[in-house]
Amino acid sequence: MSYKIPMGPYHPALEEPYKLDMFCDGETVSDAKLHIGFNFRGIEHLAETRNYIQVIALMERVCGICSNIHTLTLCQAMEKLTGLTPPPRALYIRVVMAELERLHSHVLWAGIAAKLMGFKTMFMSCFALREKVMEVLQDISGNRVNYSMNCIGGVNRDITDPQAILTAVEQLEREMVRTIIPIFTTSTTARSRCAGIGILSHEKAVSCGVVGPTARASGVSQDLRRAAPYAAYSDFEFNVPVETAGDVRARLLVRALEIMESCRILRQALTKMPPGDWRGGDRKVVFATGTALSRVEAPRGEVVYSVSWKENSRNPARVHVRTPTFQNMPAIRWMVMGARLADTPLIQASIDPCYSCTDR
Amino acid sequence: MTMIECIPQMLGTTEAWVDKGGVHWLATRGLNVRQVAAMMNSIHARFVTITAVELSGGQGIRLEYHWDLDGELLGFSFQVSGHSIESIYDLCEAVDWIEREVHEGFAVDFLGREYEPLLLRAGDKLGVNLHEVVQ
Repeated sequence: MSYKIPMGPYHPALEEPYKLDMFCDGETVSDAKLHIGFNFRGIEHLAETRNYIQVIALMERVCGICSNIHTLTLCQAMEKLTGLTPPPRALYIRVVMAELERLHSHVLWAGIAAKLMGFKTMFMSCFALREKVMEVLQDISGNRVNYSMNCIGGVNRDITDPQAILTAVEQLEREMVRTIIPIFTTSTTARSRCAGIGILSHEKAVSCGVVGPTARASGVSQDLRRAAPYAAYSDFEFNVPVETAGDVRARLLVRALEIMESCRILRQALTKMPPGDWRGGDRKVVFATGTALSRVEAPRGEVVYSVSWKENSRNPARVHVRTPTFQNMPAIRWMVMGARLADTPLIQASIDPCYSCTDR
Repeated sequence: MTMIECIPQMLGTTEAWVDKGGVHWLATRGLNVRQVAAMMNSIHARFVTITAVELSGGQGIRLEYHWDLDGELLGFSFQVSGHSIESIYDLCEAVDWIEREVHEGFAVDFLGREYEPLLLRAGDKLGVNLHEVVQ
């Protein structure tokens, strides 16, 4: 007998409000429909009422996890319109913040995935580790969530003691190598709960245009840090982990390997950080009429900002944000088709969805 | 000759790429949005997004389509005639949600496709122009 199970918009298995109508034959999902927009905030329209300083603070609030990425992408777009170039040290600081944010996001996701696997001990370990990443972010920026680091033409704060941050990062790396990485890559619990479920084929990943770790777990090797380097990424050596199985385990492995690559980038950035100015705030900001696009590889994938400005205007004429979850979410339909009902919360979580970003 | 340099010729236009604001823009005079989408598919470009821009003085809506080709961003801008433009959903599955969002936020009708229930939950009407609602 076929029947429909509505999950959400408020449901214990979902971290944020969205709705998944699942059509089932017995315990097997035959099709699904997704609904979002329950907390749509109209931030893009609100941005048109903010000046170039206020709009940075506003867009930092699009997402509570990758807040730094949003201001980085916005500032890069505004820098194209103003012709301001950040000094080399600022570019390195942007990389450090972006990679720490990736660590924090991936470890947070690992905790949530562990909880959904029924691996509660791992959840605690991940969140304890995430707390330490947040402490490092707080040491640099003074804030735990909205870091206020980016401004047009530079950053708002220096990293005064890169060696101290490097020591903290090395400590974090040791703990991750000791706990999270082996458990997620070799443990039987993780393998039995994740292998072979929620498969997104390479063809479907390409056709849905998915991005980030979700794409890389389906054999789509795309990473803007490599394909279209921004900030100081062209100065660093790192690998882009790609898996081909397309299942939840592949997405787990990609993120676990990316944690290691982030640590590698952080070590290089903190060791080679160039001296000099890092500020961007004391130069005159004059916008040219036009549109600029900027893209950044956020923890969940590509973030795109399209910013239009009219000369002599205080406010942007248009700010469009394309977040990674907005692009990845429709693929959930294909991932849950044929899955067991009990696996669907983990499958949905495996794309690391962010509805705050999606309902921007 | 690179693939990007070949695209204007493949589309049958004499226009040249203009690099502006981090995007290679190609003027779309005489081009159709579906023709461009089919071409992007054939060269395995990845769809990125559509940005809807409401033009001042009631001049309507401009839609900017973006594709990624090997890390390069390609842009094609189309003026919406009246309130509608052809959908490319059947050619490019990745546009589904952004076409729905533009439809619901800017009252643009994408011809040739059906819409699922409201994405943005703005009410019982489809195709609300949020700018006009706010004003």
